[in-house]
Amino acid sequence: MKTHSSSLLALALLALLCGLGISDVFAQEAGTSPVDFPYTGNRTAVWIVAQLHILFAAFILGAPIFVVISEWLGYRKQDPRYDRLAKEVTKVTVILFSMTAVTGGLFIFVLLAAYPQFTTSFINQFYVVFAILYPALFIAETILMYAYLYTWDIWRGEKKGRHIALGVLLNLVCLLILFVINGPTSFMNTPPKAEGVSPQDFLAAATLWDKIANQSWFPLSLHRIDGNVAFGGFIAGMIAAYMYMAAKTKEERAYYDWMGFVAIWIAVGGSLLQPFTGLLLAYEMCDYDFSFCPYMMADQLSMFFEMQGIMIGLLFLGINYYSWLSVKRIEGADNVRISILAPIVLIVLLPVTMWVMNSWWIPDPMSLAFLLPLTLSPFLLGRFVPMTVSARTVIKIGFIVMLISDAVWLTPAGFVATGTDMPDEMKLPEGWDYLSSMPAKLSAILTLVFVTIVNFVLYNRAIKQGTILWGKIDFTAQFVLIFLAFTSTWIMGLMGAVRSLLKKYFHTYSLVSDLSAESFTPTLSYSAGWITAITVFFIAVVTVAALIAIRPSVAPAKEPEGSPVPVK
Amino acid sequence: MWNLFKKLAVGLIVGGGLVAIANSQEVPVSFQLLFFAISVIGAGIFALLDAKTMNVMSGGMAFFTVTAFWIFLISVCVAGASFLPQFDPEDEKAKIGKLLDKERKQSAQGKTEELIARAKALDQQVKALEDRLKGVGGGQVVAAPQTPSAGEKAAAAGGGAASGDIMKIGEEQWQLQECYNCHKLRGEGGKKRGPELDNIGTLLTVEEIQQKIADPKSFMAEGYDKEWQKGIMPDKFKDLMDPKEMLALATWLGSFKNTAINTPKPIKKK
Repeated sequence: MKTHSSSLLALALLALLCGLGISDVFAQEAGTSPVDFPYTGNRTAVWIVAQLHILFAAFILGAPIFVVISEWLGYRKQDPRYDRLAKEVTKVTVILFSMTAVTGGLFIFVLLAAYPQFTTSFINQFYVVFAILYPALFIAETILMYAYLYTWDIWRGEKKGRHIALGVLLNLVCLLILFVINGPTSFMNTPPKAEGVSPQDFLAAATLWDKIANQSWFPLSLHRIDGNVAFGGFIAGMIAAYMYMAAKTKEERAYYDWMGFVAIWIAVGGSLLQPFTGLLLAYEMCDYDFSFCPYMMADQLSMFFEMQGIMIGLLFLGINYYSWLSVKRIEGADNVRISILAPIVLIVLLPVTMWVMNSWWIPDPMSLAFLLPLTLSPFLLGRFVPMTVSARTVIKIGFIVMLISDAVWLTPAGFVATGTDMPDEMKLPEGWDYLSSMPAKLSAILTLVFVTIVNFVLYNRAIKQGTILWGKIDFTAQFVLIFLAFTSTWIMGLMGAVRSLLKKYFHTYSLVSDLSAESFTPTLSYSAGWITAITVFFIAVVTVAALIAIRPSVAPAKEPEGSPVPVK
Repeated sequence: MWNLFKKLAVGLIVGGGLVAIANSQEVPVSFQLLFFAISVIGAGIFALLDAKTMNVMSGGMAFFTVTAFWIFLISVCVAGASFLPQFDPEDEKAKIGKLLDKERKQSAQGKTEELIARAKALDQQVKALEDRLKGVGGGQVVAAPQTPSAGEKAAAAGGGAASGDIMKIGEEQWQLQECYNCHKLRGEGGKKRGPELDNIGTLLTVEEIQQKIADPKSFMAEGYDKEWQKGIMPDKFKDLMDPKEMLALATWLGSFKNTAINTPKPIKKK
């Protein structure tokens, strides 16, 4: 109950801050001096609070998708474990909901204090969003989330469908919030423009819808939806790992082993889409202004993308290592086999894709005409080829292919901070330079995704043909789950920084300049320090929330205290 | 343990082989290190795949191990990011300073800062005068410090460009607008995103170059007709440069008439 009252308190605080913020905004005069945040500086202060807010918000928007799928699976399969998983994650979500509200309020406060003039003009641009739509949707989400949690035990049995419908409604509101708030966010990167009209003139005549539906709005929203699902899954996996370690009985251990398994596979579903929606976002950004592209890939941010490659490579290795450990605890997994086409395609996919993409660049349909049949062949034609290979061998081949793909992904044109004045002795020599091209990077991503899909298919076959010994997974798997949560949170922090830095020396790209002394690209080392600090703080809060929310539900039931007897 | 040594040996052999091949092809050392590191990481992963099952931990032991694991993750991330080459923000700060100089002076904040700086300078002058008066009383003369105001400093910093000749301004705009990211000139920059411009002065007049910068779709370079190459030049430069700066850039570019370089022929589109 304390948790819920604190959530309401936080929400009230947010409303108060919003109210104060907006009334303050209109009371401001041009030239109001910003507050100077000590130690971090103003930009980093905003960055820390904004990133924390986004992480909490990503979880509370992504977890309900995860939760309602789990609840529906429990209802359909009549498996109470899914229902318990959904309810436990909802309890954690409700606590983190209050953290989202607190960091949201703090974000407004810090933004107003650090950049009063820009914040004023920005709120004026999106007054209807910030003053009406967003608060209204946030309140609706609050009501629905509490209603969803408190009706869990009331709407069961025949009424379960009604409860699932409430969960779906909650998700719709969550999605609406995401789309609405992504309007102002994406506007700062790609404000609407038209040929032959100055950005200021175009903006003066633009409607609210023009501003929201800017070029990067829809791709950013798509990228964030699958990102939030993946993120929710990875965090739930980490919670499962902690609970597994704290489990006292075999039954508890079996349950949390199962929870980690479900969480990771939902996360993998989202993760497999991430590279493609991410590419779509990058494509739209570069189409909006091509100077974004060299800034990201060749100039100031090139080593940020090198770091992204390292982390995503490790994420995919971690996901597949977890599935390897999962297969190891399945009795009868040794008998699982797959057509020889699978390892053949695994081996040839990277070079073939590189050749195809160099010949027919996306979106040329010829590239799909080659790649679709190739990637689908093991699954469609496999049954007609009598030769088979054991699952373990295929997974090991997959790891070698993943390592080669990682090497390709991590090979830049040169290991220099900026490619603009790269000395020849640092460049990849001719004949090797194809490794640093965009077709090579895309081929590496596609191969990583394909290896993961093959492993997923093998894992499913092992589950169907063998018996899973729940609770018997190698203890190393718990560290893999923690690693995956850390890595995915870190990548979110890194890419959040990249998206914001793309505005260069503008608050709103090409419209509102950032006249402060902090409008420059920070070093990767400096950024990594803050991203790590934010990640650690976020995960520490999630861990505490999980321990508070879930532990009581597994505590032994108390003895009945008997009926109260009046004092005579 | 034997498993680990065996896998590590394979990793070292594969890594060593890759380094030898890369070295023979004159691939820079940093890439050789990358290939070697991935081979060793691969060996570690294969050692993990065949490692013995870890025993279940709980209580204090689990807490200690998880904490140690977290410290390891944090250290690897921070150290890994610091190990990569770092972009020096000072390079960019000078450029951004020049780009925003005019706007900063015009902004309310800039004016306030300038007023504060002037007030501080006046305050210092008053103090210096007081010291001089005291000095006169004591038979000594103290020279007043000649502290320039912030406005004077800014004028001195930006004045170089304003008073410089048109070619200097043009070259400065080339650097500030980062045209070199797409166009090769004097053998520097480019990456084949846009045409090499060393002979542009022979192919276009200054007015036409100016037209191309202001409206990138007015001309298209021959050979840049593939779908993904078409119209990628941003149309923002007319908003980022004032007419004088754009003319300076066009004039400077127009002076490049090196016929030895094959600058693609511009085709008029508008």
